[in-house]
This record gives sequence, structure tokens and C-alpha cells, in this order.
Amino acid sequence: MDSPTKSLRSVSHHPASPDGKSTAAVAPTLIDIENLDFHYGATQALHGISLKVPDRQVTAFIGPSGCGKSTLLRCLNRMNDLIDGTRIGAGSIKIRGVDIYQRDVDVIELRKRVGMVFQKSNPFPKSIYENITYGLRLQGVKDKGRLDEVVEKSLRGAALWDEVKDRLHASGLGLSGGQQQRLCIARTIAVEPEIILMDEPCSALDPIATAKVEELIHELKLKYTIVIVTHNMQQAARCSDKTAFFYLGKLVEFAATRTIFMNPENPQTEAYVSGRFG
Amino acid sequence: MTTEPPAAAVPPPSFAIVKRRLSFFGLTLDECIQVFFGGNAFVAVVVLALITYFLFREGSQFFGQNRQNLTVYRQAGLEYVDFMRRQEQAHTALTRGLFELRMRAVVDLTERQKLSLADANQRLAGFDDYAGRFDDAIGPLRGMVADLTEVATAIKTKFTINEDKMEERQQLLEAGRVAESEAVKVEAVDFERELAPILGTKEAYLEINRALKAEFATLLQRMPPAPTPALQVEVERFKVKVQAYLDTFPSIEANLAAWDYRRPVPLWKAFSAYLFGRQWLTASFWQDWYGVVPLFVGSLMVSAVALFLAIPLGVGAAVYVNQIASAREQRFIKPCIEFISAFPSVVLGFFGIAVLGEALRSMSQVTWLQWLPGFPIAERLNALTAGCLLGLIAIPTIFTLAEDALQNVPRSFKEASYALGATRLQTITRIVVPAGLSGIISAVLLGLGRVIGETMVVLLCAGNRIAIPDFTEGLGAFVQPVHTMTGIVAQEMGEVVRGGIHYRALFVVGIFLFFLSLGINFLAQKIVRRYRISVG
Ligand SMILES: Nc1ncnc2c1ncn2[C@@H]1O[C@H](COP(=O)(O)OP(=O)(O)OP(=O)(O)O)[C@@H](O)[C@H]1O
Ligand SMILES: [Mg+2]
Repeated sequence: MDSPTKSLRSVSHHPASPDGKSTAAVAPTLIDIENLDFHYGATQALHGISLKVPDRQVTAFIGPSGCGKSTLLRCLNRMNDLIDGTRIGAGSIKIRGVDIYQRDVDVIELRKRVGMVFQKSNPFPKSIYENITYGLRLQGVKDKGRLDEVVEKSLRGAALWDEVKDRLHASGLGLSGGQQQRLCIARTIAVEPEIILMDEPCSALDPIATAKVEELIHELKLKYTIVIVTHNMQQAARCSDKTAFFYLGKLVEFAATRTIFMNPENPQTEAYVSGRFG
Repeated sequence: MTTEPPAAAVPPPSFAIVKRRLSFFGLTLDECIQVFFGGNAFVAVVVLALITYFLFREGSQFFGQNRQNLTVYRQAGLEYVDFMRRQEQAHTALTRGLFELRMRAVVDLTERQKLSLADANQRLAGFDDYAGRFDDAIGPLRGMVADLTEVATAIKTKFTINEDKMEERQQLLEAGRVAESEAVKVEAVDFERELAPILGTKEAYLEINRALKAEFATLLQRMPPAPTPALQVEVERFKVKVQAYLDTFPSIEANLAAWDYRRPVPLWKAFSAYLFGRQWLTASFWQDWYGVVPLFVGSLMVSAVALFLAIPLGVGAAVYVNQIASAREQRFIKPCIEFISAFPSVVLGFFGIAVLGEALRSMSQVTWLQWLPGFPIAERLNALTAGCLLGLIAIPTIFTLAEDALQNVPRSFKEASYALGATRLQTITRIVVPAGLSGIISAVLLGLGRVIGETMVVLLCAGNRIAIPDFTEGLGAFVQPVHTMTGIVAQEMGEVVRGGIHYRALFVVGIFLFFLSLGINFLAQKIVRRYRISVG
């Protein structure tokens, strides 16, 4: 366990702000997005998004293709910085009250705290062991015992240990698609982030592998705050505590998952979740 | 009255899918196009095959001719004389050592001990006597070698004239002029008889050698003490060398005794004399040697310098442009580097002679740079000058291909690395470059292929001295003039007799280059393919 992580966790939380007619248990807010506008060069992709992501719960982003789910997700660990010409037009994103877009934020430190799993599994062309220890080695950890320990812990955490424990030094690219995705999750939790962002983590997986990852999400929820983008309504319904529905770069509705699926307030949401458009 | 035709008689709309095609010489248009492109590909393959065939046909006869060349070397007694000549030359080298010792002694005496030059010479009088006696000792052997050289040359000339006559007769015969052909007199060289004056000196030689040994033994004992104490080490070293020289005498005698002009030269000798021969000596009055080593070493040294420059610059620029530069910088830098390859290499050669060589030499005269190996540079044109320019030529190749390799590294690797909290530098050094490494290596190999095959620049700037540089000078060897495989072909091919041994020797150099490039390209492709599989 990283001490900085602990100290961050111990900071007093913002008072919980239950969202509308939420039926979920009241949880403190971890990420507070306020009035966010986001631009790719001349085109505006996000319009005035306000959203409070609760601590240690799973929040799902849903919506038709191109509505800005990935864009918003990538704002949360500033991955969009890597794209030329992107900028925040207005608004702010605060994690535990700290504005992550203020001038002297250390982006590297932010990304250690906010991990990310991508749509297409992308293990490095290195061994399984090196894939998992990559993040720690970046931080200068060299102690073999510590690394071994983290590898086992992370692989167990990602429910992959039993499948790969005999070939830790084989290439990560030699695993199946589902295993690769779990390897990516293991790699992410190895650096002990607080938040894990997942962008359609199961879209390339078969139903069995998907089920495994979903199960994993349930377990991870106990320790991490998860934000997941998905096109799969069942998945959102099964895994998440809260769901946000986006349309054309705007947040249409954000509420407890049950509410969104059973009793949405907005007719567009209703149409989308019932599969009548999108 | 007219009855209307029954409705059933209306013909159904025709099912017109049959169409007469245009045809030329019985081929449809499609087939013509196919023949055209197929023909082009075929021509390319045939031309390639013809070139390869021609190269091999011309080159392969070299080894037979070289064997003949070595056989004459033996039969005419040149080989025999060379045994003695080497003995004489080793002595000359020793004398030169003594001379250098004296120079150092003079410097020591005048600069350290502040003697006048006359006094110093006075002091060295004993040493000079000794050196003179040492030099005179070889006199008889030197005389014998000179005499025998003349004899052997005469035999060889006789043989060559005979060969020419034989060829003339053959040509006349082929032309059907039988009477004329018989008029050409050919007397076969009787080597036994011709060699008699040479072999007859065996006893005299042994006599000379005995005297030499005795003389050197006394000279070794009478070696005067070093003129200055500091040089005592050198004197001891000289003694050791003389002793080693004396120790070679028995083997020389044995060589001479065992020598037999009738012993055939095996074919592999013709190969090894080429592949491992340390001399490339043509149109010499004594004996021609075709050893590729000095040329190969020259090419290698020039390429090494070129890669030493081009790898960091080319790969570094590729990493910068691909990973760090903004889009605007990319748009500027890429065409600039690619523009280098637009320079005709002869222009670069001019530049090398007029600017770079001159600049390097004046730089080498700067006092505070004297610690660099090889400085000051004696020759303006040398391996370093040529290598620098070749490096320039290799940069665009390496840059472009390495940049491609980096471009092919999936973006997702980079994103994953950043998402784990890596800095840009960490991402580049730990993920992007390793993932593109095989592509980069093959870029470097192709750059090497480009450099090894380059001709104009080395011809103009490498100094063209056919000798293996003196590697005892360490890195200083790189500022000595060299000649290269490509350079020698370009330089000599225009002047040689078609079908002669020299002509064929150049072809073999061509074949050598061909295989070298082939090997390099093959390796590069193999590496790239491996990489594709591992990432794809
Ligand atoms: N790199 C980019 N440059 C310019 N515009 C972009 C870029 N990435 C996304 N966009 C635009 O931003 C909008 C939102 O894209 P985003 O990828 O966030 O959608 P999404 O909801 O994740 O869609 P999907 O479900 O298909 O992944 C789209 O209109 C898209 O065209
Ligand atoms: Mg997306």
C-alpha cells in the first residue's frame, strides 16, 4: 500500500450530495465535475457537464456513439492532454476537492492515482511480469521481493493468477483476449490507484470473458472507485451503482442505475435504455 | 383481310449478355493488359538474372588465373627470391629502429642535457659506428638478392613472351592461317635450366648466412650502452628484436632447402591468396598480388565512421520527430533531412575535398585538441573525411526507416504507459524505442548497405591508398588514407585489359560487394518480418 494513497484517502470527504431521486446508498462524492465544456480544436465535444461520482461505487457512462463518453472519461486522468489542440473551455473537475486542471498539478502523479483500462487490451510487448511491474519500476521500485509480491497480489486481484502463475515470464501478447484485458486491469491495480477508468473494457470479449471481468469489477468496487463506459445496457445494469446517460455531448440524466433503467425521468433516456433509439 | 399477329408471336425481350469483344492478335483487352504488366515483371527478373550470371561468369575465372599467376611466381623462382628478400627487409626494419633510437638520443642530449649539437654527435660517435656496422652486415645478402631478382625477372619475362606467342599462334590457327601460325616460334621455357643460376647459389647463400649469424652474435654482445640512461629500455628491446630475427634464420633456410619449383599450387591457395591477401598490387614489375583485405578493411573503416555518426543522428532525429516534435516542426524537419539524399554524391565529394578535409586538418592542428588520437592529421583525405560524408548520406535512410518503425509502434502502447504514470522520456525509452527496436536495427542495416555500396564519395575523399592502415596507432588509424572495394572497381575498371586477371579480380570484388549487400538486406528484412509477427 502506498502511503500517499492512504493519506489522500484519509482526507475528509465532501458531504454526500445525493443526486435527485437516488435510491442507492448515500456515498460521499469523490469526483466532482462542474459545468465542464471541452473542445477538440474548433469542435466542442462536451457541453456543460455536471456530475458527482461517488466514492467506491461503480458509475456507468452510457449513450449513443459519439456522445462524448470517452472524452469525459479521458478528462478524468488528463489523457486528452496528449492530443494536440484540446482544451477545457469552462468548468472544473475536482477530485477530493482538488482541481485537477489547475496550473501546478503534477499530471504524472494524477495518472498514478487515476488508472485507466482501454477498450482494446493493450499489454506491452513484454513479459507478463514486466507488464505488471512496469508502473512500479517507473517509480523506482527495484526490490525483487516487493515486485514479486505486487505481481502476485495484482494478478490475484484481477483473477488471473491461477491461469498465468506458471508463465509469468512469457510474453503478455501470448494470452487470450480476455486474459489480456485482465492483465491490463492487473497492471493498473499494481500501482494502487484510487480510481479506475474503464473505456468499454469488454467490447472485444466473448460472453464468458465478459462475465469474468464483470465479476472482477464487483470485487474491485470494494477498494476502488470505478467509472466505466459501456454500450452494453445489461452490463451497465448489472455492474453499476449509478448511471449517467449522455446525448450529443450533454448529460441528459444521472441517477441510480435502478432509476435509470426502471423509471427514467427523461423520455430520451427511456427510449435509449429500452433500445428504441441509439 | 389481314389478321393481327397473335400476341404469343411477340418475341420476348432478348437476354443480350453475349457481346463481341475487341481483340488484338486474338487477345482481349484484359489479357493484353495482363501481358503488358506480366511482361514488365518478367523483363525485370530476366535482367537481374543476366546481371548475376554475367558477374559470376566473368568473376569465376579469376581463381583459375590467379592460380596460374601464383604458379608462375613459383616456377620463375620469384617465390624463392622473396624468401631471401623478406630476410633482407626485416633487417632493414631493424636498422630503421636503430636510426629512430639515435634521433631520440639526440633530442634527449640536446634538450634535456643542454648539449650542443656537435657535442651530442660527438657523444654518439660510438653508437654511429655500431649502427654502420650493423647496416653493412647485410651487404652480401643484399647483393645476392639484387642479382637473383634480375635472373627471376628475366625468366618471368621469357615465360610471359612465350604465353603471348602461344596466344598469337592460337588466334592465327583459329583464323585458318595455318602457315603463318607455324611461323610463330615458341620455345617452351626450360625452367630447370633457367633456374640453375638461382638454385646454384644455395651453397653461397648458406655461407653468407653463416657469416651473418656470426656477425650478429658479436654485434649483440658489443651493443654499446645506451647513449642516455632513459633509452636503456629501448636498447634492451632492440636486443630482443635482433635475437628474434636471428631465430627466424633456420626456418628461412629450411624454406629455401625445401623449395621446389615443380610443386603445384593448390586451387585453394588461389582463393585464400585473394580472401586473406594483405596486398593489392597491380602492374608491378615483380609480382602482382590480388588480396582483398586492404580494400575490405578500408570499406569497413569508412562504414564504421559513417555509422558512428549516422546512428545517433538518424535515430535521434527519428525519435525527436516522431515522439516529441510538434506538427509544425515535423513538417519542417522531415523534408530537410530527406533533402540530404537529393545531393548528388559527387557534389558531396567536392565538398569533402574542398571544405571538410581542409577543415578537419586545420582543426587537427589546434594545440588544445592534440590529445585526440591521430591528431595532427597528416593527410587531408582519409577514412575519417570519407566516413563523415558517408554518414551524411546514410542519415536520410536511417532517419526515414527508423521513423517508420516508430510510427508503426501502436499508439495504444504509449497511452497505456502514460496512463500508468510514465513521463514522456520514460515512455520513449522504455516502451516506444524497445517496441520499434527491430525496425530501427533494420534501418541501420539498410543504412549500412547504402554506405558500403556508395562509390563516388569514397573515390574522391578516402585518399585511395591501398594499404592496411597502421592499427598500432589505435584510433589514429582512422585518419590514414584508405581505399575501398567500390572505389577500386570504379578507379581501375576503365584501365584494365578485358579478360585479364586484373579485370577478373575487379569482378570478384564486385561479387564480394554483391553478396555483402545481399546479406545485409536479407538480415534487415528478416528482422523486420520477425517484428511484424511479434506485434501484429
Ligand atoms: N481526437 C479527436 N479529435 C477531434 N474530435 C474528436 C476526437 N476524439 C473524439 N472526437 C469527437 O468528439 C466527439 C465525442 O467522441 P467520443 O470518442 O468521446 O465519443 P464516445 O461517446 O466515446 O463514442 P463511442 O461510443 O463510439 O466510443 C465525437 O463527435 C468525436 O468525433
Ligand atoms: Mg468511446
